[in-house]
Amino acid sequence: MGKLPFSGVRILRPRAIKVPLDPFARIIKSSTEDLMRRVLCIACILIFCLLSRAAFADDTADRLKQLEDTVQNQSKTIEEQQKTIDSLKEDFSKQKNQVSPQRVQEPQQTNQDLQQKIQELNEKVDQVVETQKKEVLSVFNPAIGLVGETIFSYRSRGSADTGSYRPGGFDIYQRSVELNAAASVDPFAKGYVVVNASADPVTGESTLDVEEAAIQTTSLPGNLELKAGRFFGEFGRLGYIHDHELPFVNRPLVLAQYIGGESRTDGLQMNWLVPAEHYISLTLGAGDQFGGDNPPNYVGDYRQGSGLNYWGHLSSFFDLTPNVSLEPGISGLWNPATNAQWQINPANPPLPTDINGNTFIERERRLVGVDLVLSWKPLSNNQFQTITWGTEVLYSDNRYDVTDPSGSALPSRSVSSYGLYSYLTYKFHRQWTAGIQYEWLEDMQNSQAETCAESVNITWALSHWDQLRLQYTHTDNNAATGLHPDDAIYLQWAWIIGSHSHGWQQR
Amino acid sequence: MGLDHRFTLAWVAATLTLGKRSILMKSKLFRLISIIVFTGALCGWVTPAHAAKIRIVTTLTDLADFARAVGGDVVEVHSLATGVEDTHGVPMKPSYVPMMNRADLLILIGFDCEHAFLPALLEASKNPRIQKGTPGYVDCSKGIIPLDVPKSTDHYQGDVHPYGNPHYTLDPVLAKTAIENIYDALIAFAPQYQAKFTHNRDAYLTRLDAKIAEWKREAKLLKGIKFVSYHEHWPYFAKRFGLEYFGTIELKPGIDPTPRHIEALSTAMKSEHVSIVVREPQFPEKVPANIAEQTGAIMVTLPIMPGGVPNTETYIKMMDYIVYTLVTAVQAGKQR
Repeated sequence: MGKLPFSGVRILRPRAIKVPLDPFARIIKSSTEDLMRRVLCIACILIFCLLSRAAFADDTADRLKQLEDTVQNQSKTIEEQQKTIDSLKEDFSKQKNQVSPQRVQEPQQTNQDLQQKIQELNEKVDQVVETQKKEVLSVFNPAIGLVGETIFSYRSRGSADTGSYRPGGFDIYQRSVELNAAASVDPFAKGYVVVNASADPVTGESTLDVEEAAIQTTSLPGNLELKAGRFFGEFGRLGYIHDHELPFVNRPLVLAQYIGGESRTDGLQMNWLVPAEHYISLTLGAGDQFGGDNPPNYVGDYRQGSGLNYWGHLSSFFDLTPNVSLEPGISGLWNPATNAQWQINPANPPLPTDINGNTFIERERRLVGVDLVLSWKPLSNNQFQTITWGTEVLYSDNRYDVTDPSGSALPSRSVSSYGLYSYLTYKFHRQWTAGIQYEWLEDMQNSQAETCAESVNITWALSHWDQLRLQYTHTDNNAATGLHPDDAIYLQWAWIIGSHSHGWQQR
Repeated sequence: MGLDHRFTLAWVAATLTLGKRSILMKSKLFRLISIIVFTGALCGWVTPAHAAKIRIVTTLTDLADFARAVGGDVVEVHSLATGVEDTHGVPMKPSYVPMMNRADLLILIGFDCEHAFLPALLEASKNPRIQKGTPGYVDCSKGIIPLDVPKSTDHYQGDVHPYGNPHYTLDPVLAKTAIENIYDALIAFAPQYQAKFTHNRDAYLTRLDAKIAEWKREAKLLKGIKFVSYHEHWPYFAKRFGLEYFGTIELKPGIDPTPRHIEALSTAMKSEHVSIVVREPQFPEKVPANIAEQTGAIMVTLPIMPGGVPNTETYIKMMDYIVYTLVTAVQAGKQR
């Protein structure tokens, strides 16, 4: 309660009257002659006192009256203020009673809403959690992708003249129906499978073929990586790349003949990243088959270690400028004793013969290669502009047992032959790449037989997963090959659905 | 590989290669292998011993800037990108492999931003310390709530990021989360330097906070401004500074625009008064410039990571460049 306004009121008190005593003492002690003067003085004093008493009496009464009036006024004021306070209290309590339902109930209402919302949210979260608990049998499934590749082509000569395994003239060939699956096996390895179901060139029926199925370590110490199973062994630059990832429609002739297509093997391969400041990668492997090598297994046979294929690849990389790089490599492949028994089995395809009709049975396989890729990939816009020059030169020095057409054995013969391909691609737009390619090779069995081919192509990549390539190829064969020159136009349409990874070999 | 190990390996290889009495010498193949091992060991041997600094590899340059700011003088940071690359188009150079092979920490943006080059490089690096799932694999997207998470991951939507838009570091407030993630990884790897890292981080965040306040102040002019860009780099930036992201010149992420798309975009831009065309330096200038000319918008070239254009070597300089370039463009647009 506030301080009432009393503090300003002054209560008046009657003033104290002082009577002088010393003059009276002097009067009593004075002589008689002064008696009259004294009596007069006393009388005067008495009169004065009486008068002054009356005067004082009047003054006190006035003051008392004033005081009473003041007190009365103040009492009135107090009463009025009390009334005001009471009325204010009344108003306040009224307002309190009127305001509280709004001001208090609103927060209560908000709290209730919040509680309700929290409850709803909790229920939703619980539902989501419950959904997550649902058993999903496919949760550990690997990443799966599918590649389709169709080749529309026209060749000016039949396959008898070109040595192709596809017919001449108009041809449509579903070359790849390739299923890829990959996932981690455990913290120490990953596994992947590539299964292809392309059409058989003769029957047209799809044959399911396991192209790759391998396990690859991911955490070996010493910068080592081990791969085992069926895989494309590392030889050269394009030997271990699937058809649809090549920079042109067909596999280079030299790889198709000297390696025998993709460098597929059932084997074991170790890769070592040399622990140096500079990139040096070394790969060594052993397998019972490599590319188109003859299947090495023959029932009843006892195979020495020399019956296996051994290969290696050493590569490095140089940044000539931030935008220009050079990646050289050398490769070797050696099979000390190829499987001759398989070759002479009459149930198998006929053996190769030379122009004289002599039959060649491969006894030892020796192949070395040099590969080089020079690229201009501007850091800032390499998705729009790139130039790549790739070249690979292979030298084959195989040893053959030779029999003449009558079946008599001739002295075994080593045939040295060279082959190469070189290509230049120019990506001039995000979607467009142009390329030229030159190929030349000597036949592995007969180095006098030479073939060369020139190609131009243009690739339109609508996206990462959809690509059309138009290619023209002119192939020339010399007389020793027994084949004829031909021209071919190819239209390749390749597509990917599902998972796709940007693999290391696509660098 | 330590120096002693390298020496031992070289000695063993030399013995196998040169020793006359070794039974293994009977095999030519083994001798060949030994020579190769010897050469390799020698290569390793002549390699200078690694400095005691913490070796960090980052995918992009903004992360490198953060790592240097937090790590200070106890870290050695290399970025795979130099700054001029597209975030999705860093080339897979084998020269990155030795760098990654020796790294203690790999710092990346995450949300699949680096899917085009990092998985293959990681595999080739043969470094178990930085593989996915290890403490050395530092995904800076931890704690970021992604924008534009696709409802479908069908490639009909282009090269869509299944985990959402990964360009969150263009929002400086979210960049602080990346810095915290780097800080956490650093103190987990080297707790002895915690006080130093904490001091460095706090100092950098103080600087960054002051700059954020400045950018927000300056960017008041940008509120409500509509813009298009070549690739969808800018949703986080637009949200932070109140711009309206109108669309992209690309048809879909990673897919070039068709003429029909460009025409439709230009028409919509004119009717909706879109005043800014952002071109990232990784993309050709022609199409964005044509669209800007047709619609009356102003084209600006903005970096997406430090070093993308000159004078943007650090993250703060880059954000300065972005904010002030946009403000200048908007002011110029208003004066037209």
